[in-house]
Amino acid sequence: MATFSVHVTIENKPGISDPEGETILNDLVLKGTHKIVSKIKTAKMLKFTIEEKDKKTAKIKVQEICDELRIYNPMVSKVTIDVFDA
Amino acid sequence: MSLESRELSELKSKIGRDPTSTELQIVAAEWSEHCSYKSSKKHLKMLPMTGPLVINEKGYDSGVLDVGGGYVVTAHIESHNHPSAVEPYGGAATGVGGVVRDILSAGTRPIAIFDGLRFGNIEKDKQARWLFKNAVTGVADYGNCLGIPTIGGEVEFDECYQNYALVDVACVGFGKKENLIKNHAKKGDVVVLLGGSTGRDGIGGSQFASDSLESEDRSAVQIPDPFIEKLIIDAILEARNEKLIHALKDLGGGGLSCAISETADALDIGIEMDVDKVHTRESDMRPDEIMVSESQERMLIITNKTKLKKLQDICKKFRIGCSVIGSVKFDNKVHVKKGKKTFANLSADIVANATLLDLPSKKPEYLKTITQEKKFKPITDYSKTMMKFLASPNIASKIWVYSQYDHEVGIRTVIKPGGDASVLRLDNGKYLSVKIDGNPKQCYINPREGAIGCFEEACRNVVCTGAKPIGMLDHLQFGSPKDPEIFWTFLESLKGLTDFAKDFKIPCIGGKVSLYNETPAGPIKPTPLIGILGLIDKKPLVHQKITKGDYLVMIGNTKDELGGSEYFEYIHKFIGGTCPTVDFSESKKNMKSVLEIIKQELPKSVHDCSKGGLAVAVSELCMIDQIGCKVSLDTVPGAKLPVDRILFSESHSRYLVTIEKKNIKKLENILKKNKVSFKTVGIFGGEKIQFSNGAKSIIDLRVDKAQKTWLNSLRDLVLHG
Repeated sequence: MATFSVHVTIENKPGISDPEGETILNDLVLKGTHKIVSKIKTAKMLKFTIEEKDKKTAKIKVQEICDELRIYNPMVSKVTIDVFDA
Repeated sequence: MSLESRELSELKSKIGRDPTSTELQIVAAEWSEHCSYKSSKKHLKMLPMTGPLVINEKGYDSGVLDVGGGYVVTAHIESHNHPSAVEPYGGAATGVGGVVRDILSAGTRPIAIFDGLRFGNIEKDKQARWLFKNAVTGVADYGNCLGIPTIGGEVEFDECYQNYALVDVACVGFGKKENLIKNHAKKGDVVVLLGGSTGRDGIGGSQFASDSLESEDRSAVQIPDPFIEKLIIDAILEARNEKLIHALKDLGGGGLSCAISETADALDIGIEMDVDKVHTRESDMRPDEIMVSESQERMLIITNKTKLKKLQDICKKFRIGCSVIGSVKFDNKVHVKKGKKTFANLSADIVANATLLDLPSKKPEYLKTITQEKKFKPITDYSKTMMKFLASPNIASKIWVYSQYDHEVGIRTVIKPGGDASVLRLDNGKYLSVKIDGNPKQCYINPREGAIGCFEEACRNVVCTGAKPIGMLDHLQFGSPKDPEIFWTFLESLKGLTDFAKDFKIPCIGGKVSLYNETPAGPIKPTPLIGILGLIDKKPLVHQKITKGDYLVMIGNTKDELGGSEYFEYIHKFIGGTCPTVDFSESKKNMKSVLEIIKQELPKSVHDCSKGGLAVAVSELCMIDQIGCKVSLDTVPGAKLPVDRILFSESHSRYLVTIEKKNIKKLENILKKNKVSFKTVGIFGGEKIQFSNGAKSIIDLRVDKAQKTWLNSLRDLVLHG
């Protein structure tokens, strides 16, 4: 068994509006001089530290936990899971 | 999204050619049940929609009532059931947004929100808890951000909503009569789209709402943005004050397609628009997608070229998007272009008026045996049963829900949620009392009497505050109308509501029909929801604290009609029996008498006796004021009944009046004069809720213990399972 850090990124699906990101872009970033920025998307990230036998199993386990506990709604959110050695 | 083959051939014959793909999308959205009311419209006409206070104007999305002094009240009710069932937070929040814009589109400021929420069994079902918790948060977040108080509603749980949610939202608006938008358009006027950008979210929403929820449609999820909505409200009201708006329409189900075609049809004009001019969130959207996108927080405005500049300045000030997307023509056509190329060109009349259906109906089989009661196990310890009852999700206090809502913002709220109806102060010195009520358990057992019961109960609630009912909103929620048995229940409910409305001269000022509410386990129970607006000329009856020695007087007869009662369904797990029936003449007499005693300022409070029966109604009074009460069941008006029936019957037209001893004689005189059935049934004092029958004690509960259970059990259930 090894310890892994699993990052779960939850963001609105592409095409669905993201009022928070738009507000940060329009009312903060573009108000300054950062005209090169064209888009900002917000997301929520959860970092799990987990004991598993390998990266693949760690990823599957975290996915299961998130699904079971409704940490995100698959209707709205896109989820990306990245695994790192802790 | 699709048209039925019959509808497709009908469209072809009407336009004399094959429709383009954009035309197909537009028509499919507009001819969906959600937008066209094709199954229900023929029958809805039976409801009385006029009255001395009702103001009817073309193209209004909300009902308008003249409340005197040059002021009007507007009201509307909507549901967001399908979206909330898959995304409760966003679904409930955007539901609030939609109904708020309906109020705004008449040119009035939204001043109060109401929500009626229904879910599955939250005691057993984790999904139902998740839906409930998130829908409440959705309503709270959206309403609170807008600065509009959410001042009333109801929450109910029933197995028939398993994996589903009914999220009904009503909104009330207020404004000057002279500021109402008189929808009209002149040649050369421009069509402006104002508000949030158009994106791919919510594509096919209205279609989705008209299909049963078997397949989960992923694209139909809408994301709420209350801050844009707040800016839209302020911008529109400023534009209204500057007289910049010729016509105004909210974009709801069906998006631009419905807004354009319905506006053109209502005003008898044509609209030519260019999809390239619509401000979109993504650059690669197809014309079809732009036309049917249900992105939230958008309004359509018709104005003229000179006023446009001012309108644009207002939008700039509030930093909301505003694009001129087209112009008014006089060919009665909906003409959609992209640059020079035409993508759709149809008669508004064809698009906006789907062929209305006359669906078959048949009395459901289950109703034949539903009134038969089974033999119940006798209750040995009523105090224990009562404690269980007070903790049950449908009876327990909903304080966990309404404490999340800002119900005072706007400083109009005179009577806050938690009692019978809520009351708002109006600028003309009068008060508006509002309540929404539904009762699917009774409507299942008897669709007609159940619906009438909801109507009467909502009326009773506003009467308890001293208000006279002046208008009604109906929201009819049923399963698939293609099932003749379901359609029969729809018609029965509608006929019941019509009879009551006509008899009591309460006009229907607005409503909504939501069909195809089906869960994987089958259709929902018939769930008509009734909203009542009542007007108080002088001053509302604000509950005064009950003190020792006050009397409890009961008005109205308790009858042996426990079908659909919480007692049968929660305690005995039995669905069936006789549904409570409203006796119109008794109901009218009781309402009139209650209003009279309130006018004479006799009672300290008047409480409606409904869900859970007399036992729960008395307990509520005791728990709210933390005072005991001794009630003699043998004095309760009505025929002699077994103890459990007197305690838990949900008979209509009953009121509990709390009154000081010194006023009791005057009260009796008025009630006797009006030939009302009443009795003094109890006296307040002590620290116990006690019901006795003759010398025998039936229920004996400590108020503090009961109160703790009643106040906290719903929250504990939601948060800790």
